[in-house]
Amino acid sequence: MTSRSTEEITFEGRAIEIVAGESLLIGLLRAGCQPGGCLCLSGDCPHCLVTVDGVAYVRSCQVMARSGMVVTRQPLGEAPPLPGPLSYQESAAASVRHLFADVVVIGQGRAGQAATVAAREAGREVIALDARQGEEVIGVYPGPLVVVRTAEEMRQIHVRMPGGEIVVATGAAEIPPVAPGNQLAGIVTRRAAEEMLAAGLALGRLALVGRPEKGWGFLAGAGGRIVAGELVRFEGKERVTAVVVRDGEGDENRIACDTVAVDLGRLPRDLLVRMGAGLPIRVVGRAAEPADLPACPQEGVVCHCAGVTVDDLASVVARGFHELELVKRATLAGTGTCQGAACLSHLRRFLAAGAGEKADRAELPLPFTARPVTRQLTMGEAAAGAFHPPTPRTALDEEHRRCGARMERMGGWWRPWNYGDVWDEYEAVRQAVSIGDVSTLGKMIVTGPDALELLERLYPTRVATIRPGRMRYVLLLDDRGYVLDDGMICREDERRFTLTFTSGGATFAELWVRDWAEAFGLDVRIMNITMSVGAINLTGPRAKELLVRAGVPDPPDFLHFQAGVVAGIDCRILRLSFTGEVSYELHHAAADSVALWQRLMELGADLGIRPHGLEALLKLRLEKGHLIVGQETDFDSTPRRLNHEWAVRLDKDDFVGKTALQRTNRIPLNRQLVGLEMDGDAPAEGAVIWHDGQYAGYVTSSTWSPTLGRSVMLGWLNLFDNQLPDLVTIAGRAARRVATPFYDPEGGRARG
Amino acid sequence: MVERLPAIRIVATPAALDQLGNAVGGVRLRTAPDELLLIGETRGLPIVADPHAIIFAETGFVGRWIPAGQALEILARTCEWELPVARPAFAQGMVAGLPVRLWLEPERILFITAAPFAVDLEERVR
Repeated sequence: MTSRSTEEITFEGRAIEIVAGESLLIGLLRAGCQPGGCLCLSGDCPHCLVTVDGVAYVRSCQVMARSGMVVTRQPLGEAPPLPGPLSYQESAAASVRHLFADVVVIGQGRAGQAATVAAREAGREVIALDARQGEEVIGVYPGPLVVVRTAEEMRQIHVRMPGGEIVVATGAAEIPPVAPGNQLAGIVTRRAAEEMLAAGLALGRLALVGRPEKGWGFLAGAGGRIVAGELVRFEGKERVTAVVVRDGEGDENRIACDTVAVDLGRLPRDLLVRMGAGLPIRVVGRAAEPADLPACPQEGVVCHCAGVTVDDLASVVARGFHELELVKRATLAGTGTCQGAACLSHLRRFLAAGAGEKADRAELPLPFTARPVTRQLTMGEAAAGAFHPPTPRTALDEEHRRCGARMERMGGWWRPWNYGDVWDEYEAVRQAVSIGDVSTLGKMIVTGPDALELLERLYPTRVATIRPGRMRYVLLLDDRGYVLDDGMICREDERRFTLTFTSGGATFAELWVRDWAEAFGLDVRIMNITMSVGAINLTGPRAKELLVRAGVPDPPDFLHFQAGVVAGIDCRILRLSFTGEVSYELHHAAADSVALWQRLMELGADLGIRPHGLEALLKLRLEKGHLIVGQETDFDSTPRRLNHEWAVRLDKDDFVGKTALQRTNRIPLNRQLVGLEMDGDAPAEGAVIWHDGQYAGYVTSSTWSPTLGRSVMLGWLNLFDNQLPDLVTIAGRAARRVATPFYDPEGGRARG
Repeated sequence: MVERLPAIRIVATPAALDQLGNAVGGVRLRTAPDELLLIGETRGLPIVADPHAIIFAETGFVGRWIPAGQALEILARTCEWELPVARPAFAQGMVAGLPVRLWLEPERILFITAAPFAVDLEERVR
């Protein structure tokens, strides 16, 4: 041994030399560090768990020792310390590799090798996995997908379908003993004892317990004493000093020893099979053979992971938990790191027979379900290959940040919340001129012979009455008459329209329009241009002046649109208003957004221009009483409840949601979206509305209005005796129900 | 570097797109039965045999050419679906959690995504 090179590791603070090429556990055993419980040295039992370099739940029998490892014990039944920031960062570096194959063979023993050869000879592309080569399968998933951990990376192996398969050739584990004292050190399975002897470890006085079918082989030849009889208990303080068996006469025999090797039979390593119900899995070799039936446990620890004893099992059974899955949940047996590898056969045997009775194999309950993962993973390994959903950025994103914008994720996009002073931005819109980035609005071209018919069937407005060059505000309803989205219909010619949607609703709206076009069988062309077309909202009492200065001498009238060149950029100019002031939405190629933005800022400098963010926009639109779908609306908001019946023509031909609206309109109204105002600061959005001490609704949007000198709100208000109350209480203060818009109710400023 | 890709996007009947042929130039990506994306230099606006076709001068896509060996290594870590074997080839799906279109040539691969994901493409595909 002294001629072999060694690796120096640190175990529990002291330096230990381990022979190079040996497993960490063999090295620890050689140094006299033997954990309690029956060791298997095969990765099946939970007894050799350690923490290595801050990573917990490492099976020391499955990893090679390497110099510099810092190893600490991980006591059974206790959680390891939570990873600190450093270990999290280290673990976050795990990478993933995606592989594809017709057949994945898990296990490369005799049966696994045979399956691999046979599949390759059949012309299949095979990936063969061998845990002994450090390829640890940690789960099988629908797909089918096999996830593998290696020292270098996580591997995700995608099985080609149809025709692909996962071959499980994981062999069989050894049944551990359940008897008093089975948590002592010095107890090993037969295969572990063989491996330890082969590694040159001294086992001392070796007792061989069990009745192996093929005899004890070289263990007996190596001096092991064969102990016949039924296992009763192990004796010792921390390490086993004797084993007690009962002979055929019923007499107990006590055999002094230093190590006990047990051979109580085999059970298939079927964890992946139990995990992969419904997947194309074929089991071969010893993994496919039935489990041996252990003696019914009488006393001792059954599940070492969760610390469940035979007494615990008896207790839950006495309370009526007879099913294996219920016993698992009641005791947590089988939920630990080995997922029942050590305890499942004993649990089944116990429940089949009841304590002390014999059981027939047919009476055994089915094994419980296994769930990924088979081994504890680090955070980095678990997250390997996962990407958080991206948040898109408009073409002006960098420009906003350059201007000092505080960016927020809103409506599914990165958007400027404000540029430092929301009230300056507000005043710029109300008093001068401002620009805002509205590129996030959904935009879609619909054309074709049946375009008009499609839109007539989708929207509750008379689309045919929109003249080319005009546009109209519209609601989009679902087939239950609830509001899905809102936006504008811009009619370009007889058969071509541009639709706009809310920022957050655009993706669904596209699916909605496409689905209905297909369902109706209409001949249309649809193109979503949301991410291709930028949009800047030019707004304020001096917006028209700036637009003229930017080269548009004759801007469109209210609710009209036209093509034009604005500051040298080709645009479509939409005249509308969301802020309550004269507004022009300038739609343009996304590549031109920054140039257009910067030129407008330069041209409007002496007009007092400044950009406004979403925070200011929300206040401005609320003063006008404009709702925002998703903020004001709920899952069951009808146009009537939203006080938007003016946007619905029930006298037109059928449209999506019409039948439902006709039905629900006959039901008495029970609540409605209303305008509210109060003196003093605005209450929080979501504040409860009270009327005569009763719950009456809640506030959906609120803001202090410097223009009006009071706070204004939108909110859902219940009807009492078929009447909306005029006076309510919000946040302990009086509030009044008022008509909307709060600001410029005649609309003179918006129309210009 | 991810760069904005000049392109032409066409929505038309599948038959009309089938007839378009290679005459228009550029990289032809058939992104859907009724949609074609022409990337790069084209010989003017194509003539499409569909009077209702939408032909859109597109600036909303960005892309990056990566040498094939490096690209395949990136894709092995970021792409959960199997790439076509033939070259050239077009494929599309999620790559690194982003909606990506791939144009695979023997020596290089073009990664394309919508411009609003340009920063994410830059960060994730390298």
